[in-house]
Amino acid sequence: MATLPQISEEDIQKLDETLREFNASADATVSLIIDKGGFLITHQGDSEEFDLTTIAALASGAFMANQTIAGLVSETTFNSTYQQGENQSLFVTNVDDHCLLVVIFKSDTGVGVVKYYAATAIKRIARQLKIAKKRAPDESLDLSMLNVADTQYFFRKKEKEPGGKKRP
Amino acid sequence: MAIINQATKELQVKIVYYGPAMGGKTTNLVQVHDHVQTAAGNKGKLVSLATSSDRTLFFDFLPIEAMTIRGFKTKFQLYTVPGQVIYNTTRQLVLRGVDGIVFVADSQFEKMPENVESFQNLMDNLQSLKLNLHDIPYVLQYNKRDLPNVAPMEYMEFLLNNREVQVPSFSATAHRCEGVFETLNMITRLLLHKFINQSVPQYA
Repeated sequence: MATLPQISEEDIQKLDETLREFNASADATVSLIIDKGGFLITHQGDSEEFDLTTIAALASGAFMANQTIAGLVSETTFNSTYQQGENQSLFVTNVDDHCLLVVIFKSDTGVGVVKYYAATAIKRIARQLKIAKKRAPDESLDLSMLNVADTQYFFRKKEKEPGGKKRP
Repeated sequence: MAIINQATKELQVKIVYYGPAMGGKTTNLVQVHDHVQTAAGNKGKLVSLATSSDRTLFFDFLPIEAMTIRGFKTKFQLYTVPGQVIYNTTRQLVLRGVDGIVFVADSQFEKMPENVESFQNLMDNLQSLKLNLHDIPYVLQYNKRDLPNVAPMEYMEFLLNNREVQVPSFSATAHRCEGVFETLNMITRLLLHKFINQSVPQYA
C-alpha cells in the first residue's frame, strides 16, 4: 500500500483558487477535485444542496466504468463524460493518473464553455498536484500518539431501541 | 490509498467488503448504517446500486465519520463489490484505492468452493492493480452462522486463513448484526496500526 499522500494547506488554497476562477468563467454551480478511488479532495461553489461525498464516489465509479468500456472498444480518448439534465448537468474529466475534475452546472449553460475552461483548469490542477507529490513523495501523517487499543470501540452499536423498526 | 487533507484536517479511508455472491456483504453495510452510533450528521446515506432483485450491480457505498485522531476528522468510506462472477470488471474498479478489506465468506458447506474462488479472485484483482494482499490489512468474516448446514470454523480457517500470516477472523450472523461491528472495528484497528507503522519507521 502506498504511503499516505500529503496535501498541504497551500496546495488546497491553490486548487481552490483554480476552481473558483473556473466556476466564475464557466458559470459552474460547483466543481470538485476527486481521487479516482472515490475520495473528495476539495470543492468550490454552491454545494449546500448536494451530498458531495456520495457524488464523488459515484462520479469516480461511473467515470472509471467508462474508461473500462473505452479499453474494450480500443479507444484511448474517453477522457471525459457528460450527462445532460433538465436543470443540472454533469461534466467529469480526467486530470491525471489519480484525479478527476467533476463539474455540476446549470443545464442552460453550454457544455462547450465548461469544456473550454476545464481544459485550462485541469492543467493547473495537475501542475499543483505534481508539485505536492514532488515536495514530499514519502511523507506521511504522524499518528504515533494514537492509542490503537481504543479502536476496539471505534464504531459503537446503538443501544437497542424499544419497538424499533425492523427491516424486512 | 487513503487521503489526508491538511487544509480541512481530514483523513479519508476506503474499506471494501469482498466475497462470494449472496454472502452478506450488503447486509453488513445495512447493519452498520442502521446501528452505528454517530453524532448527528456524521453518517451518510447508504447508496446501493442494485438490480431490481436487490443484487448489487455496481457497489454499495456508506460514508461514516468516526472519532477525531489528533485533530484529524476520520472519514470511513465503506464499499461492497458485486459478488456475482460476471461482474469482475466492476470489482476491479471498486478495489481501486482500497485501504482495507473485509472478506465476507458464506459459512454454508456447499458455498465453500465459491468462497475459495472468490478469495482467489480477490488476489488476482489486487495483482491486476499492482497490489498485494500481504500489504493490505484484511480480516475474514464467516457469515450466516445461524444456518443449520454450516461448515466448522476450523475448516473455514483451513480453507481461507491458511497463509504464512493468519489474519483475524470472526463468526457472524450479519442479518442480526452479530459480528458486524467486531469485524469493522478490527479492520479499523489493523488499518490504523498500518498507518502508524508507516508514519514512524524509526519505531517499526
